[in-house]
Amino acid sequence: MPNFHEEEILGKAYDSRLMKRLLKYAKPFWVYFLISIILLLFITGIQLARPYLIKIAIDDHINAYNRPYLVFDNQTLPDDLDEMGVIYNDKRYIRSDEIDITQFSGVPQNQIIYNKGKYYLIPGVIDTDNSFTVESINNQFIVKSGDIEYTAVPLDGTVLKVFREKDANAVYHLAIFFLCILLGGFVLNFGQVYILQWTGQKIIFNIRQELFTHLEKLSLSFFDSNPVGRLVTRVANDIQALNEMYTDVLVNLFKDIFMLAGILIVMFQLNPKLALYSCAVLPLVIISTVIFRIKARQAYRRVRVRLARLNANIAENISGMKIVQIFNQERKKFKEFDNINQSYFAATRQELMAYSIFRPTMEVISSLGLATVLWFGGGEVIRGHIQFGVLFAFISYIQQFFRPILDLTEKYNIMQSAMASSERIFLLLDEKEGISNPAQVEKLGQTQGLIQFKDVWFAYNEGEWVLKNLNFTINPGETVAFVGATGAGKSSIINLLSRFYDIQKGQILVDNKDIKTLDKSELRSKIGVVLQDVFLFTGNIKSNISLGNANITDKRIREVARYVNADQFISNLAKQYDEPVTERGSTLSAGQRQLLAFARTLAYNPDILVLDEATANIDTETEILIQDALQRLIKGRTTLIVAHRLSTIQHADKIIVLHKGEIREMGNHQELLAKEGLYHKLYQLQYKEEFDTEAELA
Amino acid sequence: MRNFKTLWPFLREHKWMYICGLIWILFTDIFQLITPRILGNVTDSFQDGEIGFRGLLLYTLMIIGISLGVAIFRFLWRWFIIGTSRKLEYHIRNKFFAHLQTLSINFFNHHKTGDLMAHATNDINSIRMAMGPGLIFAFDSLFLSIVTISILLSINVKLTLLSLIPMPFLILIVVKVGKLIHKRFRTVQDAFAKLSDRIQENFAGIRVVKAFVQEDLELKRFTKSNQYNLDTNMKLVKVIGVFHPLIEIFASLGFVIIIGYGGRLVMLGDISLGDFIAFYSYLGLMTWPIMAIGRVINIFQRGAASMERINTILFERSEIYDYSDIIDDHQIQGKIEFKNLTFGYTKNNPVLKNINLTIEKGQTLAIVGRTGCGKTTLVNLLLRLFNTKRGQLFIDGVDINKIPLAFLRQNIGYVPQDNFLFSTTINENISFSFAEVNQEQVEEAARVSQIYDNIKDFPGGFDTLVGERGVTLSGGQKQRSSIARAIIKDPRILILDDSLSAVDTQTEEKILQELKKLMKNRTSIIISHRISTIKDADHIIVLEKGEILEQGTHEELLKNDRLYNYLYQKQLLEDKLESA
Repeated sequence: MPNFHEEEILGKAYDSRLMKRLLKYAKPFWVYFLISIILLLFITGIQLARPYLIKIAIDDHINAYNRPYLVFDNQTLPDDLDEMGVIYNDKRYIRSDEIDITQFSGVPQNQIIYNKGKYYLIPGVIDTDNSFTVESINNQFIVKSGDIEYTAVPLDGTVLKVFREKDANAVYHLAIFFLCILLGGFVLNFGQVYILQWTGQKIIFNIRQELFTHLEKLSLSFFDSNPVGRLVTRVANDIQALNEMYTDVLVNLFKDIFMLAGILIVMFQLNPKLALYSCAVLPLVIISTVIFRIKARQAYRRVRVRLARLNANIAENISGMKIVQIFNQERKKFKEFDNINQSYFAATRQELMAYSIFRPTMEVISSLGLATVLWFGGGEVIRGHIQFGVLFAFISYIQQFFRPILDLTEKYNIMQSAMASSERIFLLLDEKEGISNPAQVEKLGQTQGLIQFKDVWFAYNEGEWVLKNLNFTINPGETVAFVGATGAGKSSIINLLSRFYDIQKGQILVDNKDIKTLDKSELRSKIGVVLQDVFLFTGNIKSNISLGNANITDKRIREVARYVNADQFISNLAKQYDEPVTERGSTLSAGQRQLLAFARTLAYNPDILVLDEATANIDTETEILIQDALQRLIKGRTTLIVAHRLSTIQHADKIIVLHKGEIREMGNHQELLAKEGLYHKLYQLQYKEEFDTEAELA
Repeated sequence: MRNFKTLWPFLREHKWMYICGLIWILFTDIFQLITPRILGNVTDSFQDGEIGFRGLLLYTLMIIGISLGVAIFRFLWRWFIIGTSRKLEYHIRNKFFAHLQTLSINFFNHHKTGDLMAHATNDINSIRMAMGPGLIFAFDSLFLSIVTISILLSINVKLTLLSLIPMPFLILIVVKVGKLIHKRFRTVQDAFAKLSDRIQENFAGIRVVKAFVQEDLELKRFTKSNQYNLDTNMKLVKVIGVFHPLIEIFASLGFVIIIGYGGRLVMLGDISLGDFIAFYSYLGLMTWPIMAIGRVINIFQRGAASMERINTILFERSEIYDYSDIIDDHQIQGKIEFKNLTFGYTKNNPVLKNINLTIEKGQTLAIVGRTGCGKTTLVNLLLRLFNTKRGQLFIDGVDINKIPLAFLRQNIGYVPQDNFLFSTTINENISFSFAEVNQEQVEEAARVSQIYDNIKDFPGGFDTLVGERGVTLSGGQKQRSSIARAIIKDPRILILDDSLSAVDTQTEEKILQELKKLMKNRTSIIISHRISTIKDADHIIVLEKGEILEQGTHEELLKNDRLYNYLYQKQLLEDKLESA
């Protein structure tokens, strides 16, 4: 759908009236939304787990080497401890996190220290948070911390392996645990996406069904005043725009909130003071984001407006190219276009500028956050108030902190277009049906085909009468031809009988029943309409005759096609009755389309036939077939024909001459000719040609 | 890639923008890669217990400094490369537009406006995407991954190799599943198009639907399309739903390895905790470039396909151009001769046959005939919208093929059948042929074509906008405006192609009188369905099926009592009927 003329008009991002209606569609699915949100809660938790796991790995295991070891020899070792710790040089070393060291005050304590990439064992304990030195003197390593000095034994890989076996295993298990979480997350993630998207799709499926069903009920006057393209855009594109609102905004809003809340909770739980410091940059983030959103929106809108103008200009130039070339104004038009193209270019540059500044700015702010955490957190580590792993976790979290804030502001744009779309959709849904069935419908039943127009007045637009005070009766089985100049009101009569439009004054009766009291579906099913411009649906010949009605068998299709002389040309098609047909039906000639329309009408076996004769040029051979088919069709049926062919008129029981919405003459061909009135003139103008021109030009 | 050759001149001219832009990306990446190293060093300093507040401050400031550097270079590459890609877009669009202007009417008859618009919008857009973001993604991810891997290798080869084990799988997933997503996405678009088509068809055929009471059946059909749309969407969701978490898993596998194996290495003293931290951060930087691979492939594929489509149009040549033997100093007086002219739009299907006709300077020629008899074609040839064979059409004795095209059209005032007006002001529409609006001339032309009073009644007068956002002109007003647009040129030859059909007879009379004065000593050609319009012409020809059936003056033709007389009588009747 090339709707480059439709400029995007964006309004409010939130309208409680619209939102209420939109939520109504979500209501039946609340359970799915809830499940989706709960799943999100878990997923967020998993996403937040990684830095935390690393923190555990570092603080509880990797960095746990410097905790004091109790050193037992075989004599001092209590029996219940012989499973614990590690054996090194025939002594059992049990680390303070395995055992309560205060209970063993007499037992010597050793410590592993780390310096410049090397581990040492010292026969005592120093405070590793304070600085210490390791000096190598005569192949001996001396550790100095303040006044204390120890001789250190450097530990090589094999020894370290012994000491760190348990830590290594723990970290290994941690990794496996992490992997399990990941797998769990995978399942949850998939489930969440699937449920949420399904729900969103289902909702827009429902809205689409509702809108389409509703539009299908509206009267023809609605379709007269609403271009097809626009309606298609509403049902297809506008509803599509709502999907994002239901999925991205409604649920993922929670994701961002969970994420933010989760990070804050974890940070505060780890260290409230540092968490507060981390939040210091928050105002900066929010302010710059808001400023950016405003700027970006302005820039975006400018880009859209100018792009629309640009596209409209190209389209106009393409359709007016002939004029441009004939008037030699290519250069002038090019300059005009260049100006518009340049202004669009400038707008995109402004938009680019907004983004180019914002993204890096966020980067800097994010780094400021990181720097804050490093400075204050690092200080705390130096002072020994927190462990290094905590600092690391903070660094990780602060880097995850900004995403949800950015995402949140993006929701604004989605909301804005969703509101605009829903406004347009609801406008259509609120459209009144126009022509509705009465509360108490009368049954038409077996139809005789008696038609009466009594004092009928009709106007498409108020005040512009198309039919004025029409009175006539058509008896069952009669054929009536309506003639008159263009705009005399012939086609309107046809429209009124099927109740496509309602009359303003008077009464239309079928079998003595006012059509306003009838079920319009029943009424229409009794009337077979053949329009001048035969509309073909995409499908094949068969489906265009049966219109997809399963009750009409292939046999019946062939039968009616044969009856109305359509069989002949259909048999000549490559795939015969299965020959594909497109909407515009360009492969078929106007005459063939007429025959197809006859077959279609006959297949539904109507009691009353209404026919707007084709005016298009039809080759003589087909013309003869059509005339023949027509005679068979009207036999035994009340028939109303807007006549263009002389032969049709001559065969009619009655001719009604319309002029400017009024009946001027009525009677059969001979009577009216004898009158030498309006019909006589019309005859000379429109129908005589059929006799004369051939002779004239011969 | 061959398709992009069309862009060479532009790319060469802007090569420095691109080269510098790529250098800025390089700098951005280098700076970006420093931060994890700093964090690693900080860690090691903590481990050694030798960091003081001074050192901490230094590191803190370094992080801020680096982020400023990253910010500046990011800004620069955006501006250099994305900015240039926008310029490229501007440039191609101009080129495309200018080229369209050179193409003949024949081309536009065979190319739908919608398709050309799609080229001007979607195709140009995907070319920009390829030459902007596509280029950046490709270069950035390539550079980032190479450098990151080298850094990782320098820390610990075994850990690097281990943690990179998931990467090939990740690439495989991105490429393979990316392709699948692309395919399913196509199906989704297709389903959406089908849904639109179904809706479109239903509304277009609503009359038939209602007449045959097919609403329920149509609803069933719609439901099917709607359901299909939902199903294809869910199929896509299934892949996407697997895709992202799967990538996350594979990207995280590296982390699992780092924790499990890297942690062990730290404990055994093989690497420092700082290395461990740096490793962890670098691996995080690797995920993005790998995910970008699928996107880059997609962007370039689409860009290349679009470029090819644009090229097809750009390589198109008009068959209407100035030949080498044009006569430059030809002055058009207005004598027109058709010598045994035969013409057809397609071979073996002549629209005009054996036309022999001379119109003297200052004469008025009228052409009548039924729809499709070849009237407009005759005029099209005179405007050289289509080529005639040599020796068949002469202006002032010179073959039309020898007259410079611009010069020929400059001297002809043409009022078309379809009255195309541009959506600008009336002023600008009337003075379409001139760079500047000359108010006096415009008003004079408007008086001659009897539209002056109407325009004065518009709220904006001559500055009233025509079309969608302005006053919508009636058919007659449009016709009269386009007459003004033609006569303001003061042309040697004036052509009215059925351009008074929507004007009432009285006004028509006035216009014709004014034109007669104006076109004294000039040549006029009037095509009309209405006999009243042309009865005063010096010479009238009646065309039927591409041939001159009869010719002469009004009186002569009436006497002749053939098609002309028939048409005349018919119109007299019509007039009577109208007043009945």
